[in-house]
Amino acid sequence: MARSLAVEWLGRVSYAEALRRQAARLAEVRAGAAGDVLLLLEHPSVVTLGRGARPENLLESPEALRARGIDVHEVARGGDVTWHGPGQLVGYAIVDLDARGRRDVHRFLRDLEGGLVDALEKLGLAADVRPGMTGVFVAGSEPPRKIASIGVGVRGWVTWHGFALNVEPDLSDGFGAIVPCGLRGVEMTSLARELGTAAPVDLAERAREAVAEAFRRRFA
Amino acid sequence: MPREIKMPKLSDTMEEGTLNVWRKREGDRIERGEVLLEVETDKADMEYEAYVAGTLVKILAREGETVSVGTPIAVVRLDSDADAEVNALLEKLGGGAAAAPAAPAPQSPAPVADADESPAEPAAAPPVAAPPATPPPAAAPTPAPAALPPRESRLAFWMPDPDRVRATPRARAIAAERDVDLSEIAGSGPEGAVVVSDVEGYLQALEESREPLVSGDVPATPVALRIADEHGIDLSRVEGTGPGGRVSKRDLRAWLDREGGAPEAVALHGDEIKLSQKRKFLIRQMVESKQQTPHFYISMEVDAEPVDALRQRLKEEGSRVSWTHLIVKASAQALEAFPDVNATWRDGAILRYKPINIAVAVAVGDELVAPVVKGCEGRPLDSIAKATDALIERARDRKLAPEDYADGTFTISNLGMFGVDAFYAIITPPQATVLSVSRMREVPVVVDGEVRVGRRMTFGLAVDHRVLDGAKASQFLAELKARLESPDGLLEGDDGA
Repeated sequence: MARSLAVEWLGRVSYAEALRRQAARLAEVRAGAAGDVLLLLEHPSVVTLGRGARPENLLESPEALRARGIDVHEVARGGDVTWHGPGQLVGYAIVDLDARGRRDVHRFLRDLEGGLVDALEKLGLAADVRPGMTGVFVAGSEPPRKIASIGVGVRGWVTWHGFALNVEPDLSDGFGAIVPCGLRGVEMTSLARELGTAAPVDLAERAREAVAEAFRRRFA
Repeated sequence: MPREIKMPKLSDTMEEGTLNVWRKREGDRIERGEVLLEVETDKADMEYEAYVAGTLVKILAREGETVSVGTPIAVVRLDSDADAEVNALLEKLGGGAAAAPAAPAPQSPAPVADADESPAEPAAAPPVAAPPATPPPAAAPTPAPAALPPRESRLAFWMPDPDRVRATPRARAIAAERDVDLSEIAGSGPEGAVVVSDVEGYLQALEESREPLVSGDVPATPVALRIADEHGIDLSRVEGTGPGGRVSKRDLRAWLDREGGAPEAVALHGDEIKLSQKRKFLIRQMVESKQQTPHFYISMEVDAEPVDALRQRLKEEGSRVSWTHLIVKASAQALEAFPDVNATWRDGAILRYKPINIAVAVAVGDELVAPVVKGCEGRPLDSIAKATDALIERARDRKLAPEDYADGTFTISNLGMFGVDAFYAIITPPQATVLSVSRMREVPVVVDGEVRVGRRMTFGLAVDHRVLDGAKASQFLAELKARLESPDGLLEGDDGA
């Protein structure tokens, strides 16, 4: 199964544009015209609601959010509600599970988590996963401090959507408006906050590289 | 026969799934490949695509409901189904028979409902529909006849009917002016409504993706191309009214409606042949091998008389020795003489295998299996024969265990019994070679200046050029030929068989 994963850095891309790019890439992969890819990017401030989203997890009205410059989208991914924005590394994984001989979405979710845990370790932060709570958390944190969210879509056994890793976002800006992933009692954190003064100045760039490297290896 | 749609299993560890969204309603026409529903497990949302065309006559599980894997969640009526069949199935599933006659006549394309035609005002509409009132208790073994709640927000995008697309009035106006088919655009507005920037982005993407047309190409939008491809529609027969005269999804739909709703390809293709997991795996493996392994091919003609004579002799002595046994044995000896052939390409390096494990391709019904005779190095012919026969018997009884297929280092494929004169099989990765054995045929040969009847077989060898070059491969094949033409050596180590 020599199927590799290309990683592309797209820079800052609007949510709608990213959706379009994902859909286009997904169609290509389904048609066998392109290989698996991890699109890394950053979004302007946006709140998205997955298929499992419950309105009560949105703490402000869409109008109020838009007035603050935060867009609101509904998307065909699993999961509840989340926020994306500057300082967050978003990864959309377009992976053909069928071509990899692994028609198993749970395993794919575990692979995404594993890739993030590997990358965080490289960056100097011990992270772990919690059974029944898809996502990545600061190792041993109680109450749980969540550092990365995951939600994927699958079309014809090709995945899209993916993860959002909080590198150095303004946490109060976006996450203040929602109950992240519908998990009350879970605190959102970021790499910058966890590393504190140990955070290097070029954290964003290093995070990008660590994630790219970890996923290339895991999906080799 | 009407089809039950069941909660799909998306993972080995998945026991139940949640029905997120129905993309179709009862009474809707369904085409193969269309998304019927979305299912969620954990944090993954899977679009479930119809594998048959027909009419969605009954929905058995509501949005938001969680049911076990394999639970029937809907019934699809094929065009050929009789009312009685549909009713019988609905009765069995407890969905109530009354629904069946309500299904629209299969011939008429689903009427475009205009109930949804309420362009959303971007700022006014709440982004999320209230969740389905109260999901019924999950334990109910036969879900109550659950009428699909009126389709509210949440769905909209992925390719609804062109005329049902949610869009802001301005986006709609621009789309009309620029001949854009709104159903091709994923809306980013509230409730998935298409907004002006979506239309502009779409037009720009279309412009950027414009590829030079080759003769015979029909300009079409990417979505139309994909649909035409999936449904086998010849685009040259469809008039394009999209941007720049491209064929759009709307054009395809209009064409299909006009042509009686059945694309030519549907009439051309009959039933789909169901593929087993094993066969799908083999197909994938072969495609990958042919694409990624640089094959080259050599063949040699072998004088089959000596080995045929040996086979006859052994037979008379009462041992059941077949061509396959003799060729496995000769191959093992030739591989011992050329260990570089018993090798593989891995991560930029050539690795020699320690054992000689010979896979023998066997057709069992519709399936091709290749059980592996392990440890052939130095193994006597009678022992190889016994092991091979046992494997082939297990293969015929479909009782091969996974380890019976595993760890082959060389493969033999024999089509001699089908009268094939010569062929080359595809290499099974990660092996580096495959030997193709053809029938023994009688040919005129010249011996000592006289023509007489000889017996010849053609042995073909497909070779991974990363592992072997032509010279080494030829030496190996010559060695194999020599072993078969002077076959006494094949009896080495046999206890007087």
